[in-house]
Amino acid sequence: MKSTTPLLLETRSLHFRFGQRPILHDVNLQVEPGSLYGFLGPNGAGKSTTMRLLLGLLRPASGSVHLFGHDLARHRVALLDRVGALIENPSLYDHLSGRENVEATRRLRGVAASRTAEVLELVGLTDNAHRPAKEYSLGMRQRLGLAIALLSDPDLLLLDEPTNGLDPNGIIEMRELLQRLCKQHGKTIVVSSHLISEIEKMATHVGVIQQGRLVFQGSLPDLRRLQTGRARLVVETQDAESCRNLLPRLLAGATVAAPGTLWLPWLSQEHTAALAVELVAAEQPLYGLRLEQPTLEDTFLHLTETRVAAV
Amino acid sequence: MEATLPSTLADFPTLSAAPAPLLQLQRTLASDTLKLKRTAALRLTLLSGAFPVLITFLIFFFKGDIIMKAGGSAWPRFINASWQTAGTLLLPLFVVLLTSLVVNIETKATAWKHLYAQPVGRGAVFLSKLLLILALNAVALLLFVGLLLGAGMLLSVLKPKLGFALSTIPFDTVVWMLLRTYVATLGLLAVQYVVSLFWRSFVVPVGVGMGAVVATIALLSWEHVDKIPYAAPLGTAMAMKMGKGTLTVAHELAKHEWYSLGWFAGVLVLGYLVLLRRNVTN
Repeated sequence: MKSTTPLLLETRSLHFRFGQRPILHDVNLQVEPGSLYGFLGPNGAGKSTTMRLLLGLLRPASGSVHLFGHDLARHRVALLDRVGALIENPSLYDHLSGRENVEATRRLRGVAASRTAEVLELVGLTDNAHRPAKEYSLGMRQRLGLAIALLSDPDLLLLDEPTNGLDPNGIIEMRELLQRLCKQHGKTIVVSSHLISEIEKMATHVGVIQQGRLVFQGSLPDLRRLQTGRARLVVETQDAESCRNLLPRLLAGATVAAPGTLWLPWLSQEHTAALAVELVAAEQPLYGLRLEQPTLEDTFLHLTETRVAAV
Repeated sequence: MEATLPSTLADFPTLSAAPAPLLQLQRTLASDTLKLKRTAALRLTLLSGAFPVLITFLIFFFKGDIIMKAGGSAWPRFINASWQTAGTLLLPLFVVLLTSLVVNIETKATAWKHLYAQPVGRGAVFLSKLLLILALNAVALLLFVGLLLGAGMLLSVLKPKLGFALSTIPFDTVVWMLLRTYVATLGLLAVQYVVSLFWRSFVVPVGVGMGAVVATIALLSWEHVDKIPYAAPLGTAMAMKMGKGTLTVAHELAKHEWYSLGWFAGVLVLGYLVLLRRNVTN
């Protein structure tokens, strides 16, 4: 992370526990202004807990949360004035209509009355605004929750699994909306998700949390670079075992994946070329030699399976 | 990290001040009032007063001649009977249900996490709902008295033999009873409010409240019953004295009503301190 950029959101050595059970351990989130930060982790890794800490709903055991350069614990109300949030399932009053649900929060925040219609329009709920929220589908509820989060035109949006319950079309719409808010309106957005595939299509930065620890944080290109280091060379031959015995130096890191297949970490183009020459020289048939790039999904799984400290 | 701090502050210098506490309260109240729309809490407030009046009305309508044979005047007897019907069981249960229902509006919508993430302090949230419940409680009592007087007037037309026209309405007593009954409900209202907020459920406060009301009835002969907030409305309902054609009540707060006020103040301060720094997990 470039430490010269002023951070819009920052947690410093954040710890949290429920009773005696530790939930978060030394989490240092760093979110730059104008970024779309994907906060990734499997279910139960501590995403929602972190989101709640960012809003002052939970009090950290130690460490602090800083928004816009100010300590949240000391300026909570003033800071929350600039934050819109959607935590887990949207908090909707089923006995009220969609419009009244927006109106309830609008009154609470003291936002101009015209905003109610604007945000309903923005999420495409104008035609259904008169219907009671209990008749809304899961996707409509999610969009209404987003409308409420957008009411005050906040500089920072905290969205916890916003695509939950959306159909593929809804997910694409949500993604486009978030990207538009980020790129055109300069909003800073933190989106949590357990799906890398969803985050990689929109995020500029990524943080990966596993068992309450931040195991990766950086830009999306950083994450991609991390995976090139994990590229794999696959050798298809007649007898993998004897190949390894014949070329102990070149195939030092190789594992026998199948009787005729060798896997080895990709080192360099020269190494690959030398391997091909030597295999042929050793009179081993070379059926295939290819480079396998792990997908971002593999990288994510790798990060969240083993607890490596990447940062 | 410290090195970045000055530039951080330089880039976000304009931290606008938080809205003034009174403005926060005003906004929270405006929002809470809207959320009352179409709720059971509102229906309960509007209808609950009718129930004890209806019971007493029916008794007087069908058996009024028997009651009046025992002597006395119609208005004092009618008001006394209605108030005691209301105060014994119905009023405490009403307060239990009302506080639970109002708090449950947020719980049912899983909206606490949303509410506390808005730019209003926890004090505003705490006070706003309290004021709302206090107002609804007052409205329900006023409606009860209005209906009571209306039912008496209706009886004087439908059953002139009961003699409603012969006695006057003891307005003085009604106003004092209204005030004292309201004070008598405050103690249990505060306990129920804090219990509802603490457990953030509907079942727990209703269970606690009903249990407490029933237990209180069993403890009525205990010398310290006046210290139990759940017994206070009953104590006030029994405070009226029927004289010869009159119904009077002391123009001052009785001991149990002062206790009720004490509970109100004490429980609210304590409850607020406990809830102020609590984690919001639902």
